[in-house]
Amino acid sequence: MTKKRKSGKIAPAVRGLLFAAYGVPIIWIVITSLKTSNQVFNTGWGMIFFSPNISAYTKNLHGALLQAGLQSIIIATGTCALVLLIAVPAGYGLARTTGRMPTIALGALIVLQMVPQTATVIPLFQIFGSWGLLDNTVGVVIADSALLTPFAVLLLRPFFRGVPVALEESGAIDGASVWRIFRSIVLPIARNGVATTATLIFLISWGEFLYAVNFFLSPGRYPLSAVLAQQITAFGIDWPGLMALAVMTSIPILVLFVVTYKQLRDGLTLGAVK
Amino acid sequence: MVPTMTSRTMKKVGRGGLSAPSALRRRTQRQVRFVFVVPATLFIAIFSVYPLIQLLRMSVSDVTPATLRSSWNFVGFSNFSKGFAEGTLGTVLGNTLVFVGIVTVLGLVGGLAAAISLRGSARGSGLLLGLMVFIWALPPVVNGSVWKFLLGNTGLFNSILGISGTSPVGYLYNQHLALFSVAIVNSWAVVPFNALVFRAAILNIDAEIFEAAQLDGARPFHEIRYVIMAAVRPTTLVLTVLTVVYGFRSFDFIYVMTYGGPGTVTTTLPFLSYLEAFVRFDFGLGSATAVITVVLVIVLAMVYARSVRREESEL
Repeated sequence: MTKKRKSGKIAPAVRGLLFAAYGVPIIWIVITSLKTSNQVFNTGWGMIFFSPNISAYTKNLHGALLQAGLQSIIIATGTCALVLLIAVPAGYGLARTTGRMPTIALGALIVLQMVPQTATVIPLFQIFGSWGLLDNTVGVVIADSALLTPFAVLLLRPFFRGVPVALEESGAIDGASVWRIFRSIVLPIARNGVATTATLIFLISWGEFLYAVNFFLSPGRYPLSAVLAQQITAFGIDWPGLMALAVMTSIPILVLFVVTYKQLRDGLTLGAVK
Repeated sequence: MVPTMTSRTMKKVGRGGLSAPSALRRRTQRQVRFVFVVPATLFIAIFSVYPLIQLLRMSVSDVTPATLRSSWNFVGFSNFSKGFAEGTLGTVLGNTLVFVGIVTVLGLVGGLAAAISLRGSARGSGLLLGLMVFIWALPPVVNGSVWKFLLGNTGLFNSILGISGTSPVGYLYNQHLALFSVAIVNSWAVVPFNALVFRAAILNIDAEIFEAAQLDGARPFHEIRYVIMAAVRPTTLVLTVLTVVYGFRSFDFIYVMTYGGPGTVTTTLPFLSYLEAFVRFDFGLGSATAVITVVLVIVLAMVYARSVRREESEL
């Protein structure tokens, strides 16, 4: 049976509009990054037809940028590892326990997940100051992890709830310990959820800049996102250079996105609503 | 309430039927699982809850960069009253309301429209969804930079206007336009996520319902109005709260595109607390504003928890 549906004229129009709204900005960054500072002021057809050059990229590619890229990798990977280490067991624990305590814990996690980052940056600045964690990559990793752990636990819990209890019980009958059951039965089944969460944590901590800008006392240690945030708020912006920086910041995201898109598309919706 | 009661009683009956040692083991295992939550509990207590307590202390103290690491003078609620007396707090609350309103309405309408237009298998649908999710996955600082450029004097919008000889429009520095510009860009950034969630809800609708509607002679518009919108209602409820919270928390686009300006035109409540603490270096005042945002968030979280519970009970 073939389903034949007249889709009307509105749906294609909406799709066209969306293509423009989301495609044009991407194309425009790449185009601008290939211009010279003077060509940015081109009007008319000169906006699109110009002799492209990669000077904006070569100008950016020096030691400081590589240093920033390395910082981004360290912060995003470190945050990802730390969050998974504590959120994966917690997500499982909260999926399998009942009663008043887990309910309170879930409520607290929802609140913490929603607290604006601008509210936590103030006390963390003070606390890190007295604990010697300012101007320290470890401090930024901890702050990012504290920001994302509630989110990760809430995202992971439904995936663990989806693991049939019967499987765990059969493991228990075979004499496996709780830890063993978790590691060799539950975790492999819930791996999609863990992978989705890991991807999201990486994406968000890659782009995080408020903690980085405030907790690193000198721009020399900024990750890419913070360098970008610093340059965009400065006076007299060099647009091609900035767009080249934006492209270079986005390339790792593009790679990660291409690899994880399908799983992200399906995994996101499960965690978001439940 | 009633269903939970029944299932609990049934569990009790079931447990009674088991042999005593097995039931005991099961119960201890359940207790053992609390151990899994311990690392997260400790971490969150130290790095999330303790900072909030510290924030509360700072909001009733006189804290400047000089006294940040020493003891603070207790000043009662004077930080809160200072915020109101200066008048900025009122303006900023208004900005926040407009901002969150625009982001919520455009984010939900855009997300639903996108999901509906993407539900079929029309050519390019998959690619478009991929493109949108990719944009959503990009760092906000990248997206914000792009829009700052697109809306700037030499940007795409003003260049197109320039062809027809119109003078450039200050999308980001005109005091009547700036708030709307940033809010619209923020909506643009949240539409892909909302579309993804709406799409999942629409894909969940039984194909037979659509067939039945078509047999009854429903036209596409009726299908959207009476089948899709009815089916996604619980999702809409949850997504509304999530989008409100997203709009309320949002600071990155504001930081990148306008830094709250011109004046305080695009300063929302969370961003105000940041400016007060890290630009004016009045940590006490910034903390007081931040405490107000946290209180608002707790209210929103309660609404959210209630709507999630309602959706789960409807499923």
